[in-house]
Amino acid sequence: MAMRYLAGPQQHASIATNQIMLQVIYACAPGIAIAIWYFGFGILLNILLASLFAVAFEALALRLRGLSPAPQLRDNSVLVTAVLFALTIPPGSPWWLVGSGIGFAVLIAKHAFGGLGQNPFNPAMCGYLVLLLAFPLDMTTWHVPNAQLLDGQSFTPFSWNGLRQSLLASFPFLIGSESTLVPYIDGLALATPLIEFKMAGTSAILTALDTNAAVLGKAAGTGWELMNIGYLIGGLYLLYRRIISWHIPVSIIVTVSAISALFYAPNSFAIYGTPYLHLLGSATMLGAFFIATDPVSAATTTRGKLVYGLLIGCSIYSIRVWGSYLDSVAIAVLFGNFCAPLLDHLCRPRIYGHRKSRSLPAMQEQDR
Amino acid sequence: MITMPLVDNFFINILFAIAALIGIALSIRSSLVFWYSSSNQQKTLIDQINALLPQTQCGQCSFEGCLPYARAIARGGAINQCPPGGEATIIRLAHLLNDYPEPLNSAHGSIEPTKIAFIREAECIGCTKCIQACPVDAIIGGAKLMHTVIASECTGCDLCVAPCPVDCIDMLALPAQNPWQWQLPTELQSTAAARR
Amino acid sequence: MSSTNFLHLPRQQLRRRKIFGGIKPAPHKAASLRSRIMPMPLPPQLILPINQYHGTNSSPLVKVGDAVLKYQALTEKLDHTGAALHAPTSGRITAICSAPIAGHPDNAALCIHLQCDGDDNSLELQPCLNHDQLTGFEVLRKIDAAGIVGMGGAGFPTAHKLRLAIEHGTELLIINAAECEPYISTDEALLRERAREVVIGAELLRTACHAPRCVIAIEEDKPAAIAALRSALAHSPIELMLLHSTYPTGGEKQIVQAVTGLEVPVGQYPLNLGILLHNAGTAYAVYQAVAEGKPSISRIITLTGRALQTPKNFEALIGTPVAFLLKLCGVQEQHHLTTVMGGSLMGLQLAHTEAPVTKTTNCLIAATVEDFPQPEPELACIRCGFCAEVCPARLLPQQLYSFARTHNHTQLQSYGLDDCIECGACAYVCPSNIPLVQYYVAAKQELRTLSVAREQSEHWQTRFQFHQYRTKQEKDSARERRIPTALSPVELLPTDSSPITSVQFSRQLAQQEIADAVARANAKRSSRLATDTQMPQHPAKDKE
Repeated sequence: MAMRYLAGPQQHASIATNQIMLQVIYACAPGIAIAIWYFGFGILLNILLASLFAVAFEALALRLRGLSPAPQLRDNSVLVTAVLFALTIPPGSPWWLVGSGIGFAVLIAKHAFGGLGQNPFNPAMCGYLVLLLAFPLDMTTWHVPNAQLLDGQSFTPFSWNGLRQSLLASFPFLIGSESTLVPYIDGLALATPLIEFKMAGTSAILTALDTNAAVLGKAAGTGWELMNIGYLIGGLYLLYRRIISWHIPVSIIVTVSAISALFYAPNSFAIYGTPYLHLLGSATMLGAFFIATDPVSAATTTRGKLVYGLLIGCSIYSIRVWGSYLDSVAIAVLFGNFCAPLLDHLCRPRIYGHRKSRSLPAMQEQDR
Repeated sequence: MITMPLVDNFFINILFAIAALIGIALSIRSSLVFWYSSSNQQKTLIDQINALLPQTQCGQCSFEGCLPYARAIARGGAINQCPPGGEATIIRLAHLLNDYPEPLNSAHGSIEPTKIAFIREAECIGCTKCIQACPVDAIIGGAKLMHTVIASECTGCDLCVAPCPVDCIDMLALPAQNPWQWQLPTELQSTAAARR
Repeated sequence: MSSTNFLHLPRQQLRRRKIFGGIKPAPHKAASLRSRIMPMPLPPQLILPINQYHGTNSSPLVKVGDAVLKYQALTEKLDHTGAALHAPTSGRITAICSAPIAGHPDNAALCIHLQCDGDDNSLELQPCLNHDQLTGFEVLRKIDAAGIVGMGGAGFPTAHKLRLAIEHGTELLIINAAECEPYISTDEALLRERAREVVIGAELLRTACHAPRCVIAIEEDKPAAIAALRSALAHSPIELMLLHSTYPTGGEKQIVQAVTGLEVPVGQYPLNLGILLHNAGTAYAVYQAVAEGKPSISRIITLTGRALQTPKNFEALIGTPVAFLLKLCGVQEQHHLTTVMGGSLMGLQLAHTEAPVTKTTNCLIAATVEDFPQPEPELACIRCGFCAEVCPARLLPQQLYSFARTHNHTQLQSYGLDDCIECGACAYVCPSNIPLVQYYVAAKQELRTLSVAREQSEHWQTRFQFHQYRTKQEKDSARERRIPTALSPVELLPTDSSPITSVQFSRQLAQQEIADAVARANAKRSSRLATDTQMPQHPAKDKE
């Protein structure tokens, strides 16, 4: 009687891929909640739109590739792409901006390279970069509804008016019969408050506490810092659940802190801010914990992850300070993705029993 | 001129200097590595290709042996003409030449399990034609004396069958050496799918 | 002598280290440890493989129809790879033929079929009460005669391993009681009840290999066994070391690292470091062989799994069919889905239960669907790196997986596929449910096949080159005997010395050779004319 063996463990105890993706989305939640508090429903609309488009495009791509969509869609990976993409583009962006960006991300940056697990570049960042290059004006103007800006002391972020204005920002074709266009503020034509704080060098939260202003109010200007602290909390949660490893985030944060401390020039008129500013006054926390740790496109060995974080940290700082792009996390992460295969090749762990970490390239049989 | 800094900021100059030094050091190291490796015996491409071929010298590739076929491949010939090498050889040649592996060209034969020549001694007339034909001298015998195949040296190339005037040579399949065959899970899945 | 570095620190306290990676699966051992080790009733038939594992060499001493007594030798080893086999009970040999055996290629091996008569008549044993006064050589001889093999799963003949250790020189003997794999509890049960005997066995092994130091290494999550060991080791120089309870601490390379912190260099064995490893079950078998005079006829086996009503440890006879043991434990066939021989991570799935228990079987799991649920479908690798974090050999399983799929053999070797111990930790933690071990096992076989094929083709190339050289020599010597003329055909021209298969023809070369040959002939003729009288000239004709 023939016996057929299947080698390998009979038991399996691991968090499944779709649960990993869901945990990443849950970990974004504190940061997203704070962002909605400060910047209105635009962000939520972005996320919902991006998710819908992402799922639709993913189903389309799978159908085009000849695979059945249902089992693949269940792995939730495209939802993570959608959420991270939605967080990087301005809240209140028109629906076509969201759609084209996420379409490029899913169809080209993910599926044209082979689908889940095969993409060399972070799809969300590819989508963001394409939009940045193609629609620079739309990507650098943030539509913040009047309801957010005009409320001073009595800050009610969840107003119906605010929601309505966010909807109008996302779907401009609904404006038709309205006489008033959605106002937007030129002064907020920035992704991050780096210019605002370049002279300050101090934490807005601490300033607010000192002056007894409402920390959660709009006037104190604490929005960005709190949002980043929210992402930091989410990232620590992911570390606690061991969904990501500490190497990439710690490496990025340490690098950015070190370089910004090295170059900190309080009296200079260029934006050499303090390390605190670079870490919490911009999108560094989101990048370090959520974007750069995307496992498919990042380096995969532990030593490689540390060098990957180092490269990304250096790139974040140098592109931000000496480059022409305001927020550089996306480009820095893409730069890291370029280097990741080489890092995987060079930075290998030393195998048990071997003396060197990387033996000579395998002797070709013909050289023996 | 050389004392003038590139940029006003002191730290940026230091950074540029460090980057330049690292660049110079890396380029020196990489040229040393190249020099060291080129002083080793460099095998030619033909030798590398020949080492991947199974050396049965059977001629099924339509060349006179494995080295001429290796030469043809090096000149740009097809890599899918060797049946005794099987798919593994095609894949390894593709890896070596940065080419795409293709299925075996059926005009040159098909992948078959290895066979060994066997002389039916009752019918052998001792003409030595098969001995002259065998490329690895796996047949022993003398003129007007019994010929026999050394089974452990026979490559299964078939070249002895045609010259035999009394047609007394059979090609017999080898007994299964190691029937415990592990398959890649993807192959298991595809065979299961094909069966469905 | 060996060149380890702890020779220089003989009094140093060995402290436990961590292994690379590792996982902590749920142990599932409590069910089988609830009762004591049970002796086994005699089965109707025993199936005894002549060769312990594939590649060993033994020959039967009995033939079909013989009546044998318990402890009688049934086979003798032909070389050092084999071990003697003894009859576990009395009976009659009914057949010597092929039977299904788990773990062999072709899933079958030559076996002696022994029909048990139920009387259990045995040969006279020769126990040795003063075993602590035996010399190493005497202990070794008794171990050899008893046919003891490594009971941890490898099945290597213990006597030969000891001989190699003595030749090389041993500094540390480690008794491996780690038993890290889930479901297996044989060593733990053995130590709970028979710790004293295991310690005596360890001391006998130490005597045999002349090791100055001995350590019993056990995982720290076995408190009853540890307590029993401590009381058994009260007056013994043998040390006890508690290891982290991580899988796969009990593997050969990993336990060396956990106990000493040294790594077994690639391509070598622990013996090269002066470390000798033996399983606790082997130590017990050594005690039985030397002190009680019993050859190796039984071993402790764990029977567990939710399909059994009474999981327990048995002292089972070698050769008992698996089905018999399962029935003893009350297997419920309606729930019984799979039978696994071994633990849950490295065990083999059996397709049917007719296979017998061998000297290296340590566990049988009769699993239901709750024990081992159906594996989920395999998804794409997301390169999360969980597998690399847990690999005890510090490999990169995600890279090996992609190279195995693309049949990239050079990279598989460069990334260390040969160092994979197939422990299954990587597949255990994979979020995408990729059966990684299957890929590596198939890839290893591909590499082996190709390496065999490569050696063969190199050998054929050498023979072909010699064939060309020989043919050329014959042609050259045939040509020397002829005098070439201006009408020499092309094939008589000398070829260059490199072994080529196609003739390279050059008109200039041909004409030059013709001219040289004509000159040689003329010179010969003129010298002959000078010495002889007129002789007629015959132009030589070529006969080819």
